[in-house]
Amino acid sequence: MVTNLERLAAGKTAVVVGFDGGHGLLGKADAMGLRVGKKLRKLSSQLMAGPVTVIMDGRQLAMGRGIARKILVKAAD
Amino acid sequence: MTECGAPKRTLSSSGLRVLLMGNPNVGKSAMFSRLTGAHVIVSNYPGTTVSFTEGTLDLDGKPSRVIDVPGTYTLEPLSRAEEVAVGMLKAGDIVVNVVDATNLERNLNLTLQLLKRRAPMVVALNMWDEALEHGITIDVKALQDRLGVPVVTTCAISGEGMMDLRQSLQHARPGTLDYEEAHRWDTIGEIVDQVQQVEHRHPTVGQRLSHATVHPVIGPLFALVVLAASFELVRLIGEGIIRYLADPFFNRLWLPLVQALSAALGSGGLVHDLLIGQLVNGSVDFRQSFGALSTGLYIPLAQVLPYVFAFYLVLGLLEDSGYLPRLGVLVDNVMHRVGLHGLSVVPMLLGLGCTVPGVLALRLLETRKERFIAATLLAICVPCMAQLAMISGLLGAYGLVGFVPVFGTLFLLWVVLGTLLKRFVAGTTPEMLLDIPPYRIPYWGSTLRKLWVRMVGFLLEGEVFVLVGVLAVNLLYSVGAIEAVGRAAGPLMTKLLGLPPEAVGALLVGLLRKDVAVGMLAPLHLGLKQLIVASVVLAAYFPCAAAFVMLLRELGPKDMLKASAIMLIVAFSVGGLLNLLMTGLGL
Repeated sequence: MVTNLERLAAGKTAVVVGFDGGHGLLGKADAMGLRVGKKLRKLSSQLMAGPVTVIMDGRQLAMGRGIARKILVKAAD
Repeated sequence: MTECGAPKRTLSSSGLRVLLMGNPNVGKSAMFSRLTGAHVIVSNYPGTTVSFTEGTLDLDGKPSRVIDVPGTYTLEPLSRAEEVAVGMLKAGDIVVNVVDATNLERNLNLTLQLLKRRAPMVVALNMWDEALEHGITIDVKALQDRLGVPVVTTCAISGEGMMDLRQSLQHARPGTLDYEEAHRWDTIGEIVDQVQQVEHRHPTVGQRLSHATVHPVIGPLFALVVLAASFELVRLIGEGIIRYLADPFFNRLWLPLVQALSAALGSGGLVHDLLIGQLVNGSVDFRQSFGALSTGLYIPLAQVLPYVFAFYLVLGLLEDSGYLPRLGVLVDNVMHRVGLHGLSVVPMLLGLGCTVPGVLALRLLETRKERFIAATLLAICVPCMAQLAMISGLLGAYGLVGFVPVFGTLFLLWVVLGTLLKRFVAGTTPEMLLDIPPYRIPYWGSTLRKLWVRMVGFLLEGEVFVLVGVLAVNLLYSVGAIEAVGRAAGPLMTKLLGLPPEAVGALLVGLLRKDVAVGMLAPLHLGLKQLIVASVVLAAYFPCAAAFVMLLRELGPKDMLKASAIMLIVAFSVGGLLNLLMTGLGL
């Protein structure tokens, strides 16, 4: 089932399937190695609409909720 | 594909420029410290506030320049730091591409873009020891063959591999790898599959700690402990230096010299007033005399510098251990209420030391709106260490009754003003997308070097303004100018702020230097209410001259004019309100 990184439950593993955003987001995400086909695990969401933290290739990435919402993922299990 | 020119350069010509380039947090600064000698210069890239560090390297008897280029993920200019990196690339002779061996895939993205520019290059696989620890092995020979440039393994923190790196610089050359831009990541994937093997290991203590410190509940608690411990440590170190080093030096060694000079000058007259100042009960008082050689040296060197040193030491450790980005994640939601994102915590924290490096760190922010809000809040609501130290000195006797109104007001102001600015400043606040580096034990060489660079900057920029300020005040006093302005502005001072007309002198000096200005309040023997109002107004109304120049450079004249208007309006209305409120409460 396709969802986004904001809605994905903490602790779940997923694969990136698409971006629901403009050129700016794509450029930034691409520079960080975050792209379609990457596997990642959601670590946590901060309280009060704070950022989402994920682990990708053993590294932590933090992103605002707005960005997390635009990253479409497919839960792996 | 554009050919950016790859003229054959050899090491025979002197004065080669070696660029250290790589992603953020790959250990470039530690490598820079290892490669260069003691002498480094920090400069601003022309037309920006993006700074870079430059040092010298001896290559077979030929001096070369090593430049620590701001960290960047890509050569596509997404931010100012990246624009600067691309600009510098054109002026460099050799590129040392510092790659984090624990994160090969993402790092190769920049490597491939650099190869496309056909710059003579060497790749340093840094953090090699950490990679081995994580079960990552990389076939260096195979990587070298694929890229077509020399590849060496290094561990800048321990110094391993640095000799190899120096030698490899002789063989720097443009790479042979060619790829289609549209298939860059595919090419990277292929290379990684070919040269890297990862053996699964259990999470290390550092990784577990890393997860815990961004946990939604444990994280904020941990942050409170870290921040409280940091400030306690700053206080302890600062006080220790003052008590055991600075005060004994000034009281036992400097005082007799100044006293002797005072007697030789006849204990009065214009020159005496300029150099020594006014005698208090027949002798020199470092806090109140107000001469260039008495108060002018004592306040910045013995009262402020020890705290600045302690602050930047502790902050440097927090930066280099990798804690600051985590703090940025934790405060992101709070920062969004004032139109900023989490990483703006860095300029705010730096500003607690000195506003100038705080302004320099504004480059972390991407949009004009963010920079304007952060700069204005920094200038108005974040007191620098010079102010903090002096305010503590003035209000210390009152304890919390003195501190809480001053710092509470500034904090409230931060929230209220930030909320208003978020609403009324046009533009957007982008969300953060942030790489959180693993925790690392700071390399003392680069931590101390950063501390040294910041201290020198503080002294050079600060001490000049202190001496100019003290001399200017004494001259203005001797010609009666301050009294005249005091009389003119007197009604405003007394009616609005409840301060004596002489306090206008402190406000004037505050334009040059905050610590000296707060110091000028000492001889006025103000009451608690007046001290609180004066401290808040002095903190909020304008930054010192050095910070003002930096802000002007960062914001441009138009925005600086707006920010200045906000500063003046806010400072005097809040000062007036405080005065009214406290008078109403019967203080």
